[in-house]
Amino acid sequence: MQIQEQKQGDVMIVTIDDHLDTAAAPGFEQRLLGLIDAGERKVLVDCAPLEYVNSAGLKVFLLAAKKLEPLGGQLILCALAPSVMMIFEMIGFTRIMKIAPTRADALRAFGITSA
Amino acid sequence: MHEGSISIRLAADVKEIERLNRLVRQFGELHDVPSRTLYAVNLALDELVTNVILYGYENPAGKEVLVRVDTIGSELIASVHDDAKAFDPLKAPPPDLHAPLEDRALGGLGIHLVRSLMDQVSYAREDGKNVLTIRKRIR
Repeated sequence: MQIQEQKQGDVMIVTIDDHLDTAAAPGFEQRLLGLIDAGERKVLVDCAPLEYVNSAGLKVFLLAAKKLEPLGGQLILCALAPSVMMIFEMIGFTRIMKIAPTRADALRAFGITSA
Repeated sequence: MHEGSISIRLAADVKEIERLNRLVRQFGELHDVPSRTLYAVNLALDELVTNVILYGYENPAGKEVLVRVDTIGSELIASVHDDAKAFDPLKAPPPDLHAPLEDRALGGLGIHLVRSLMDQVSYAREDGKNVLTIRKRIR
């Protein structure tokens, strides 16, 4: 799985690729939780390329959100495809995680307004 | 949708899931199964087969899981057959979807997805095998 990281202000933007399944989840978990361990508190995962996610992948988002909350941080996801959004709704994640329509919306929610 | 069936034998290895999903997609496309239905069935089969491979066997090496998919009338019926230890995943308590983030459990998400995506899910123990059957009506 290709994972790209990019810092904008104090927001760590992580872009994932199209398939987040049982094989890809451990690597993604290590990277995402590693960023939090390294001190990142505003974490934005850009899901635009994501087409398929199963429970192993969903668990990584839940772990990261749970880890950030008591640290005063936040996980925001953006740009979910309709099929992926349907899965997030089914599993009740839309109640406990902030999901923004676009990357710009997510950055604004973190207090960054860029041109 | 056209009537037909496919049987797929998989080694008990999570690397096989990708092949399973590819075969089911090909079968579905040949039989005019709507892509939304295929997406749901593939995700449900992924969850069920992964569960068997990761938790069913003490040592999955050399074990096989059989998946059968049938299109009958306006319904897609798929079943997962394995000789792992007897286990009915439908007996697991559903996750509390209203719990706050700190209390949300990490387990039970997969089977909840299967139940939500399918119209009907049933378990049977037959001839020393677990048989999990899922049904999805084509709309």
